[in-house]
Amino acid sequence: MSKLCKLLGALLVLAAFAVPGPVQAQSAGAKAQAERSAEQPGNNAPVWRDVKSGEKNYTTLPQHQGAVLIQSPLRFTGQSAFATAGEAWRNFRNGPLIFYGGWLLVVAALAILAYYLVKGTMKLKHAPTGRLIERFNSLERIAHWSTAISFVILALSGLIILFGKFVLLPVIGYTLFAWLSALAKNLHNFVGPYFILSLLLTIVLFVRDNFWHASDAKWIAKGGGLLSGNEVPSGRFNFGEKGWFWIGVVLLGVIMSVTGLIMLFPNFDQLRETMQQANVIHVIGAVVFIALSFAHIYLGTIGMEGAYQSMRSGYVDEEWAKEHHQLWYDDVKAGKIPAKSTGAAAGAPQHQH
Amino acid sequence: MARMKFLCDAERCIECNGCVTACKNENEVPWGVNRRRVVTVNDGVVGAEKSISVACMHCSDAPCMAVCPVDCFYKTADGVVLHDKDLCIGCGYCFYACPFGAPQFPQAGAFGLRGKMDKCTFCAGGPEPDRSEAEFKKYGRNRLSEGKLPACAEMCATKALLGGDGDTIADIYRQRVTVRGKGAEVWGWGTAYGPPKGGQAATGSKS
Repeated sequence: MSKLCKLLGALLVLAAFAVPGPVQAQSAGAKAQAERSAEQPGNNAPVWRDVKSGEKNYTTLPQHQGAVLIQSPLRFTGQSAFATAGEAWRNFRNGPLIFYGGWLLVVAALAILAYYLVKGTMKLKHAPTGRLIERFNSLERIAHWSTAISFVILALSGLIILFGKFVLLPVIGYTLFAWLSALAKNLHNFVGPYFILSLLLTIVLFVRDNFWHASDAKWIAKGGGLLSGNEVPSGRFNFGEKGWFWIGVVLLGVIMSVTGLIMLFPNFDQLRETMQQANVIHVIGAVVFIALSFAHIYLGTIGMEGAYQSMRSGYVDEEWAKEHHQLWYDDVKAGKIPAKSTGAAAGAPQHQH
Repeated sequence: MARMKFLCDAERCIECNGCVTACKNENEVPWGVNRRRVVTVNDGVVGAEKSISVACMHCSDAPCMAVCPVDCFYKTADGVVLHDKDLCIGCGYCFYACPFGAPQFPQAGAFGLRGKMDKCTFCAGGPEPDRSEAEFKKYGRNRLSEGKLPACAEMCATKALLGGDGDTIADIYRQRVTVRGKGAEVWGWGTAYGPPKGGQAATGSKS
């Protein structure tokens, strides 16, 4: 009996000592420092090594990552030396991201402008027939415009946050620019989640007609006829539109949503390093997304006659359908695709061609 | 002009958190924000435990300043890095960039929505007129304008935390090191003030 008591007592004592975590979990650094202090009192080299590694220590204060004294060393692609993660991020963002990102947008805009000046608006080759075909039903249009308008708000507010300091601030001054930036930041934060929902709806509604079709190979081979002016017959969406759907809407859209959410909700205790990486991916994705959107917006507005009306009213002229999406037109005429998915034939608007 | 710096002597810091409390009291720091914190390395390990008090180090080439999208930071003639809360939009970039984790954000709404950034001002207030009501409300006391040094360092019972002209506090520390005969490292100075430039005080640059 007394043996059992002693054993229990010993276990209790062990348990009591086992409770304070840090004492038990002696890191290699702690051991090294303890040995160093015994051999050479006053030599703290192992502690300074630990501090510089960015590891978590102990603090009584509740702040986020407060137990880290200095951020861990990091090096982004193309950087010659390691710096603290924050400094590496600062150099990467203020360096290549802003420089190449800014020029990519300028070059993309100029390329579109040059194309417009050379080719002009793509007009219908023959007179419109006056007979209308439904191209987008109301749900598809709502999804498109929700995504489109929120995209434009996000793009503009994001551009203000990324480039405004260099472009707008010197022009409009600190007070006005700070007010505009606060508006931009809040719009960005609140429109972001709305964009994600619209984006998901758009993907669900449009994915069916964006899968690979045999005609896409011919479209690729002829470059879509963008330069020759002879359009390749295509289904409801041609390969260019499919590219915008898969690379733009799906791939970039999802990347932007995920990285955006990581930065939008800092209350899940994600690390600073995670938010830095998310920011870098978000900025690269944003610049590419915006550059690609120039082409989509151009073709959907001044680039092609009838394209804007098709998404605004949902209807296209038969002639437009024949010239731009002949296979789709054939299918509609053959009755393979219902001509009126909403059955609102009477409400079909009149086109101004 | 003096170049203001902080220096924490890890041989002297006893993790009493007096500096944290002094700062909170002196500046009436917003709820949920601590401008200074004490971090203990190798906590509880005999012979290896060292504590360090850390806040904004007022870097020579401050990363927060460089990444701020509205350029709300500025550097005083004393080398103190301050910011303008009227311009701050609460984006959190300075928090990403700071090596020391100095910028703090009071929560301004649900889901971690950030309010305006708050950080150590070296007890030097902000852009408002010195010792004005508005300055106190936003940034806390402006002790430098009263000819005093930061409350945290002044309050430090063991004089582990030194705040003041970089050359003066470096001299004090050098004397301590000479007496001890060991440990010349000055924590965080390499990160904050860059490599020593032949005794010349590091100057700030704005990018």
